[in-house]
Amino acid sequence: MAPVSVVSPATFRYIREEIKGNPAIFVDIFNIVLPILYFLTVGTYGRAFFSDALWAKQLKTKLLSITVTLHAVYLIARTAAFDHPPVTTIFEIFSVLAFSVAATYLFIEVRSHRKETGYFIINIAFFFQTASSIFIRDINQVPEILRSNLFGIHVTAALLGYAAITIAGAYGFLYLMLYHEMKASRFGVIYKKLPNLETLERMTMTATRMAFVLLGTAIVFGLVWLYHVFSTLYFADPKLIGTVLIWALYGIILAARRSSGWKGRKVMMLSIVGFAVSIFSLTIINIFFSGFHKFY
Amino acid sequence: MNLVCVGISHHTAPLETRERLWFSDQEVRTALPRAIQTLGTEAVLYSTCNRTELYALAIDPAAAVEPMKQFLLAQKGVAGTVPPEQLFVHTGSDAVDHLFRVASGIDSMVLGDVQILAQVRVGYQTAVEQGTAGLFMNRLFQLASRVGKRARTETTIGEGAVSVSYAAVELAERIFDGLRAKTALVIGAGETAELTAKHLQGREIGKLIVTNRTFEKANALAQNVGGTAVPFDQWMEHLPAVDIVISSVEVSRYVLMAADVARLQKIRRTDGPLFLIDIGVPRNLDPEIRSLENVFLYDLDTLNQMVAENLQKRGEQIPKVESIIGEVLKELVEWYGSLEVNPTIGALTEMMERIRSEELARHINRFEQKDRELAELVTKRIVNKILHSPIVNLRNGHSRPVAERLQRMHAIRELFGLSHGTRNDDDDA
Repeated sequence: MAPVSVVSPATFRYIREEIKGNPAIFVDIFNIVLPILYFLTVGTYGRAFFSDALWAKQLKTKLLSITVTLHAVYLIARTAAFDHPPVTTIFEIFSVLAFSVAATYLFIEVRSHRKETGYFIINIAFFFQTASSIFIRDINQVPEILRSNLFGIHVTAALLGYAAITIAGAYGFLYLMLYHEMKASRFGVIYKKLPNLETLERMTMTATRMAFVLLGTAIVFGLVWLYHVFSTLYFADPKLIGTVLIWALYGIILAARRSSGWKGRKVMMLSIVGFAVSIFSLTIINIFFSGFHKFY
Repeated sequence: MNLVCVGISHHTAPLETRERLWFSDQEVRTALPRAIQTLGTEAVLYSTCNRTELYALAIDPAAAVEPMKQFLLAQKGVAGTVPPEQLFVHTGSDAVDHLFRVASGIDSMVLGDVQILAQVRVGYQTAVEQGTAGLFMNRLFQLASRVGKRARTETTIGEGAVSVSYAAVELAERIFDGLRAKTALVIGAGETAELTAKHLQGREIGKLIVTNRTFEKANALAQNVGGTAVPFDQWMEHLPAVDIVISSVEVSRYVLMAADVARLQKIRRTDGPLFLIDIGVPRNLDPEIRSLENVFLYDLDTLNQMVAENLQKRGEQIPKVESIIGEVLKELVEWYGSLEVNPTIGALTEMMERIRSEELARHINRFEQKDRELAELVTKRIVNKILHSPIVNLRNGHSRPVAERLQRMHAIRELFGLSHGTRNDDDDA
């Protein structure tokens, strides 16, 4: 998974040794520090976007790099402290999702040198991490059925898929903001700073294609793992139904754009709908419905 | 400070006067050595469509003003026809301040003009090539270049379109990711349509189609901008392949209705949005088009409003630019006060030591082992004794007039073939 690529095995072993003595305190400190760091990063990106502050322009990418690195350390520390990857409860997943979104954005920024959308994307990471830090619980025991390679691929693909959905939704939202500003002949900061409409649409569609492939992978490996563990398929799980519906929705977006020429505003609105339904599936269904995706 | 600037600009003279004082590159190259002979120790001259300015480092600035005016007029042979009062004069730090304002674009006719910095740099480079820019002008124009660069990176003085034609192209760039794969249709061959077409060509538009009621005019414009002319009764046929429409014809009714565009959207062969600019009066395109999805229509009022807002925003940046000018001006004044005797002494000492060590190395084998250390010592002493007097005189010259100090350093640098420090630092280039 992503944290492993950021921190070397030697560092991982070092962190593990360091926190063995008192894992709770180490992880708790990060729990408080991370939302603060994301808040500062969002603030810096906001100052650079809205008021052109030179210090903010110079500082923002460095601050984001520090935040993402510390977030990776936190996820590894958490894995080491509680002896399982932080993907077994909704608020653990929120933290991984925040990391995935922030790290993916950082990668895009460094590769493309386009820094204008950071404020909007990192706001999402800030939201997920804050929710995670407030509600996360420390769990030491993980059901044995979750310790499987198939399950690992399923979760990794699902999380990356959700990160792609989040980024598609965010770029779709930015597209609509710029679209409406230009339609209304308002030439303010949104008009001046955001990438052009075609670029935003292309970024949304790239993220959408990735989301479709990754969610498809997650569904397939999830079903194979389910069959492997329970020897029977259980299709009534609300989360499974939700994910299949989201996957179908993204398939419709891609097919509609290719065959019937849907483009621009309509497609961007669908990507936002897809994001909203995904978050609904990830949170509300997990909290209010029972099923095999609710383990605790 | 012994700097004098004499010139003419849009602030002081009309175009017909300015064009009589415009110097071509060859005329600048001819005038500069003459300026050195008659006016001062260093000189830079540059000429653009809006200004001609001569900078000279004079022994006596007050006495140099009139000769500089007469020099400019005489070089162009307009002494009797251009009133000298239309020439402006700046001396000392005012002249530096003026140059920095020019380089930053806040003295330009179009506030924040980006081309002027390049023109100032060309003027300075010409003076370097003609050998009329020395220690002082090198420093002055490097700092002017820095002011211009900082004004563009640290403020938004050059941002936002300030002409209707450029505003149209800027809007297109906020919609499309580059124009290389796009097709534009220009309806009409008037001045604004032509300017817009040229801007599109400058942005490497993929294909440009021009149409006009008078086909010859369409053809002439198409040839001018590297486009294709089509007869006025056939332009509709090209619409399905078009991404951008610029319309500027005199018509009594709309040339394109909302219903036409709605139908067009269904048969368009291109994937992206449709962008329409209506710069005709009365309007050429049905305003209802604006309500259609993925279609962007802007008229002259919108473009004028954009230009006015951008000019106002550029104006708000002037205090920030003036603050940068103040900082750099202070740096120049401090440098001028100290006159940096030390770099000249350093360069001289380094050159002598290089000659000494090279010569010694070449002949060292002729000395016996026991004498080599002595040879090293003796040659060092000789060099030190030769340099002693010039170094002492340079250091003690601090109390002498500034121009004389500069002349002394020039003389030493000329005599010993030391460079004038025409370095191109990253931050100054």
